[in-house]
Amino acid sequence: MKRSVIAILSMLILIGSSLMLFAETKTITIWAWDPNFNIAIMQEAAARYQKINPDVEFEIVSMAKADVEQKLNTILASGVKTALPEIVLIEDYNAQKYLQSYPGSFADLTKQFSYSEFAPYKVKLMTLNNKVYGVPFDSGVTGWFYRRDYLEQAGFNSSDLENITWDRFIEIGKVVKAKTGKYMIAADPYDGGLMRTLLQSAGTWYFDSNGKPYIANNPVLKEAVKLYKEIRDSGIAKEVSGWNEWVGSFNNGDSASVITGVWIVGSIKAEKSQSGKWAVTSVPRMNIKGAVNASNLGGSSWYVLQNSKNKDVAIDFLKKIYARDSSFYQKILVDRGAVGTWLPAQNGSAYKAKDPFFGNQSIYTLLSGWMKKIPSVDYGMFTYEADAAIMAVMPDVYNGKISIDEALKRAEEQFINSTK
Amino acid sequence: MSRKLRYAFIYIFLTIGAIVSVFPFFWMIVGSTNTSVDVIKGKLTFGSQLTTNFKNLWDNYNLGGILLNSIKISIFVVVFSLIVSSMAGYGFELYSSKARNRIYSMILVTLMIPFAALMVPLFRLMNFLNLIDSHWGVILPMIPSVFLVFFFRQNFSQYPKEIIMAARVDGANELRIFFSIVLPSMRSTYAAGAIYAFMTSWNAYLWPLVIIQGERNKTIVLMISNLASGYTPDFGVVMMAVVIATLPMLIVFFSLQRYFVQGVLGSVKQ
Repeated sequence: MKRSVIAILSMLILIGSSLMLFAETKTITIWAWDPNFNIAIMQEAAARYQKINPDVEFEIVSMAKADVEQKLNTILASGVKTALPEIVLIEDYNAQKYLQSYPGSFADLTKQFSYSEFAPYKVKLMTLNNKVYGVPFDSGVTGWFYRRDYLEQAGFNSSDLENITWDRFIEIGKVVKAKTGKYMIAADPYDGGLMRTLLQSAGTWYFDSNGKPYIANNPVLKEAVKLYKEIRDSGIAKEVSGWNEWVGSFNNGDSASVITGVWIVGSIKAEKSQSGKWAVTSVPRMNIKGAVNASNLGGSSWYVLQNSKNKDVAIDFLKKIYARDSSFYQKILVDRGAVGTWLPAQNGSAYKAKDPFFGNQSIYTLLSGWMKKIPSVDYGMFTYEADAAIMAVMPDVYNGKISIDEALKRAEEQFINSTK
Repeated sequence: MSRKLRYAFIYIFLTIGAIVSVFPFFWMIVGSTNTSVDVIKGKLTFGSQLTTNFKNLWDNYNLGGILLNSIKISIFVVVFSLIVSSMAGYGFELYSSKARNRIYSMILVTLMIPFAALMVPLFRLMNFLNLIDSHWGVILPMIPSVFLVFFFRQNFSQYPKEIIMAARVDGANELRIFFSIVLPSMRSTYAAGAIYAFMTSWNAYLWPLVIIQGERNKTIVLMISNLASGYTPDFGVVMMAVVIATLPMLIVFFSLQRYFVQGVLGSVKQ
């Protein structure tokens, strides 16, 4: 019996290996997530590159973000080189985690690209020991997207909303709530998105320049937590939990505005009946020295695997499309709402177009203007862990059980424990 | 009166339980007939988007190929897993040796090792065997199922040994006894095992995710995970895909359900 099992197993292995296809030469494999965004954009880029270099084949594999991360971790940890893709998409907040955990795995691109042509904040996050490892891709430049009709009903016109502070934002929100019955924003009180937006707008992060946690005595963070509490206490925010409820709140017309990254435009425009009723202006500013009316939330970039088979072709591809082809950037903006971070492209026609959905504002001209003002920060290795540690103390902050100082002290301890 | 009251409580409890377990299915089916925006808004009535959602799914993804991949993997896993595990369970139950129980408990202990810990070494092994990005790379590690070995051993322990003795006296060899006598009379155990093996392989996520590299070899679960990601997923299409992914499991379950209940309860009639 034992022998038959061995026979079956070896047969299986034989069949399996014969089924393997021989890898073709000059295939560029790309891993990314979001079929309607990153994947579609990469397909466009691939088609353009094939016109320049017809010998190259592309295999663009679409999977969930967590799946890309899982696969990348397994393969890099196993040291297996045969299965490596040439190009992989990594979320900006996690970039340093990969660069520092797997040294030597990503190609050093410092000399390959002129990085001054990209948005500075984007280059900083992919730099390690003065070497740049990625090709900056989409921006999460933030805007304050609001319902023009609601705000006008409450007595505010667009000039009242430009370059204001968060305190003023809350005041306006109270008026909007009183006059229209609508919430100023929808917010998940346990989501760290706004926290990260606030921190970056003031040029700080959860970590100092040495990567040490900077939570307990971080004045910006303290102010940000205070703002979270004030927004919640003032009653201007509709409490939601999770992405779907949040998007639903402005699709339904329950909330008058959204403050988030530019990638939300697609979700706002999905509700066609609200066309012409929206507008965008710069995000409110924190009451802190050095804070600006511009920030970023999310975004990701392309990285080339050092040990992949066709590394050089992959780099050439990224160079010729992502750092040269301006019309490519116009096309992905029009088709996909993707705001790139290669600055020369932002003089193109698509960036200047007026959008009837936003009352004929040239929203992308505005957004790319704000993009240049985003303060650069080093995201460190553990953004999400720090996020979670702070959100864990928020309930006690909200019900006033502990002071904000005490809460941040606890969060820092918790963070240090969780990343030991 | 008190009896009526008790029944009332039982029925209320059961009704709540039924609603809780059926609601996700209802939500899934309703969602597949609505637009993404309506799904997000929480619309609970049937919409008119069924064909549009299906068409979007069909046009944008290689649905047929992906379903075939999943079916192929599941069938191979079910067949081989049942053969290997039932033979192992039979062996453990029937043939005694000094080391038997020690080996058996060692095998059971492996149930406690989380798969994540095995993943990296297993990946290296598959690379060594040249099975990365192939369906056999998915199937092979899923064949030995500790739970099924345990399950079959439990069921074989109730099998009347006298029948096996009688067969031996009549001169049947051990393989013949297993395949011609034991196996046919344990049909319901096999049916229950098949449902279990089908479910685990159909729903398998982590291992196929790691081992499959290209679009060509993807399974339906990986496709859904991909669909549901992204900044603006089309939830109507996601729901449609989930409905399609659920159907084969429902078919397998309902066609084997009769046996499943018997199999779990213990199957040999004396």
